[in-house]
Amino acid sequence: MRPVPWVLAIGGFVGLVASFVLAVEKIALLKDPFYVPTCSINPVLSCGSVMKTAQAEVFGFPNPLLGIAGFAVVTTLGVLLLAGVSLPNWVWIGLQVGVTAGVLFVHWLIFQSLYEIGALCPYCMVVWAVTIPIFWYTTLRNLRPTFQYHSVVLILWYLVIAAGVLQAFWFYWSTLV
Amino acid sequence: MSKNARLSLIIIAVVAVVVAGFLLFSRNDTTAAPRSDDGKVSVVEYLDMECPSCRAAYAGVEKLKAEYGDRVTFVVKHFPIPSHRNGELAAVAVEAAGAQGRRDEMIKLMFESQQEWGGQPTSQRAVFVAFGQRLGLDQAKFEAGLDDSALRERVLAERTEGAKAGVQGTPTFFVDGTKFGGAPTYANLKAAIERALS
Repeated sequence: MRPVPWVLAIGGFVGLVASFVLAVEKIALLKDPFYVPTCSINPVLSCGSVMKTAQAEVFGFPNPLLGIAGFAVVTTLGVLLLAGVSLPNWVWIGLQVGVTAGVLFVHWLIFQSLYEIGALCPYCMVVWAVTIPIFWYTTLRNLRPTFQYHSVVLILWYLVIAAGVLQAFWFYWSTLV
Repeated sequence: MSKNARLSLIIIAVVAVVVAGFLLFSRNDTTAAPRSDDGKVSVVEYLDMECPSCRAAYAGVEKLKAEYGDRVTFVVKHFPIPSHRNGELAAVAVEAAGAQGRRDEMIKLMFESQQEWGGQPTSQRAVFVAFGQRLGLDQAKFEAGLDDSALRERVLAERTEGAKAGVQGTPTFFVDGTKFGGAPTYANLKAAIERALS
């Protein structure tokens, strides 16, 4: 799989930046917990801010901390691969375990965001968007390196999630057109 | 070009065409801003029982109602925000109480106790039933109202009408048909009403 080093390096870096911004925003939110914006149907401006929810700290601490650690590793591995380093098998197995856990967690968060919290946060969506290809290309490299329609699957995957976002916030989108 | 790249581009192109077609053919039918039809100056408020900023605006609006009630028509319309789990049912409860002539009392009760039932991820139907009891409503009729799909339709129709008039959040006020832009404080709304009256 030729794209794997690039997907890991760029995807990991973008995920790292998004996680970092989320962590910083979380700290800012903790400093000013009494801010009450008007209630908007815009899922991004929703007063039930995503970051205030229980789902934003599933393990007792803010989720972005996991992202900062995980994406830093993914970025590093991607850069090493780009530099021509060949990684031992056990590192690939470890990466596979990590990205699998990551992609499962992200899909749980997507579901929570769309159907339980009813709001979107842009940086969270950036994390969704990079975690999926990181998982997909790592898995292909490990299990089916000759699979031909790799980006077709990725696009369809994105489309399913986009359809979910469209459906969950249909009332808001319908006011825009 | 590889088969993968070709198929990927085809999918993207199809989606782009569908989206563009949808945007092109959906009409943008905005309606006139809402006002009351009795010829008096009107204040129409779109609100959500579960919205904290509607609760914050409530006291000021009640004060204005007391001051201007004889010259200005105050209208409350529902705009339940979809992300509020109980906003829609709360609006239905207000209308169900309204069917027994206790609409304003139910709104007051909803806002006064909002911090107890608002922001909850579970249905607060039992709480609303208890509100009905507190107001001394005919309970059988009130509970039937909570489950009445026609009542729910009416609430949602108000929301659709509000969205068409440009409501994007709550509370949104229309003072004599003009969308009110500032922070909905007592002083700001009073100034807008005075302008409309003069």
